[in-house]
Amino acid sequence: MALGIALVIGLIVLLFVIGFVVYFVSIYNSLIRLKNDIKKAWANIDVMLKQRTDELPKLIASVKGYMKHEKGTLEELTKARTAFLSATTMAAKAKADNVISGALKTLFAVAENYPNLKANENFIQLQGRISGLENELADRREFYNDSVNTYNIRIQSIPDVIFARMLGYVQEEMFKVTEAEKQDVKVEF
Amino acid sequence: MISASGKVFIYSAVGFFTGLYLFYKGFTWLQQKKMIENTPTSKVRSIAMGRVEVYGAAVPDKGKVLQSPLSRKNCVYYRCIIEEYRHAGKSSRWVTLKDENDGIPFFLQDETGKVLVDPIGADIEIPKDAQYNSSFGRDPPKEVQFFLKTQNIAFEGLFGANKQMRFTEYYIAPQDKLYIMGTAMKNPAVKASAVGVENVMIAKGKNYPTYYISDRAEKDILKSLRWKVFGGIVGGAALSVVCLGIMLAYLGLF
Repeated sequence: MALGIALVIGLIVLLFVIGFVVYFVSIYNSLIRLKNDIKKAWANIDVMLKQRTDELPKLIASVKGYMKHEKGTLEELTKARTAFLSATTMAAKAKADNVISGALKTLFAVAENYPNLKANENFIQLQGRISGLENELADRREFYNDSVNTYNIRIQSIPDVIFARMLGYVQEEMFKVTEAEKQDVKVEF
Repeated sequence: MISASGKVFIYSAVGFFTGLYLFYKGFTWLQQKKMIENTPTSKVRSIAMGRVEVYGAAVPDKGKVLQSPLSRKNCVYYRCIIEEYRHAGKSSRWVTLKDENDGIPFFLQDETGKVLVDPIGADIEIPKDAQYNSSFGRDPPKEVQFFLKTQNIAFEGLFGANKQMRFTEYYIAPQDKLYIMGTAMKNPAVKASAVGVENVMIAKGKNYPTYYISDRAEKDILKSLRWKVFGGIVGGAALSVVCLGIMLAYLGLF
């Protein structure tokens, strides 16, 4: 009788301990995975930013013959491109990306004033390619923010917060759009 | 001849190991649940290589479709199960005569684009789309009879009387909405120089073995996984403990 009770209690304790250990290992592993997913999501944005940056010299070369009165816009784009290429931190890259996105928006809006440029095949192709990259970038920024949001919620929830504190995990910043980027571009015809 | 109490011991032993298996499965379902919860859904046009979660409609690749074997419907994946109800002594049960599935690559389309999906190797969870029966005085439909003939499976037994059989079919039809968690990789059938989403495909990955396709929305999948996790871990543990108690009682140790 006593042996039987001991065996049943032993099994309950064993299952409880196994369950407890496996559950906490899975929390630890999923936090590590979440942290790496954020890094990967950022790397995936970075790849697209690089692709877009590589297209900019071609775009500038194709428009500068037509847009002689838009020197400021082209200079802003060139400066932002240089800033992106020399940026080493995520924050600096994100800042340069915002400036490039804003400058591109202005450039494509201003291009409406130049019918010859609008009819240029090379420009149409580049505009299509860059607009496509912009759309993909928007999706990836959204994906990045979803990843960060999941991570931020998890590291503040019980019991994940215990491991998050042990690992020294802190909240990550989301990708934000600047106020300037939210504004509509004014084009004078 | 096994005595009644001997049978109880055997059933308890089976229940004990089943409980342990469910306990283990509960944790694999927990892992799957966490994976789905933690992975944001990607837009098809911007999926990156590696583990991805996408949601959209199934679209045949260049119009290529399969025909489901029982109901003859156009589909990109099917599974059909043929079972017969058999009696053995006092007990009777459903015996599976055939469990067949097939799939072809198809596109998954959302509002941003489409991506190729190879369903081979996926853990596909879809509800049954058709079920037919045959029994005394009740023939299966003509399409089913035709399929049974090609498979050399008879639905008639002694003296031409129909056997009691069950024919179940699951399929993914064009335009069915699908949730997919898998691995985005280079499409081996497309040249490296090609551009566009068609040079990417979703398939079973080596680094991320989770490859799951379902026609339910993510929140419904998570809801059912929550129950599976609870049932597996708590139910499995309880089943093992109770069955161990019964076995020990049989051995006179309890």
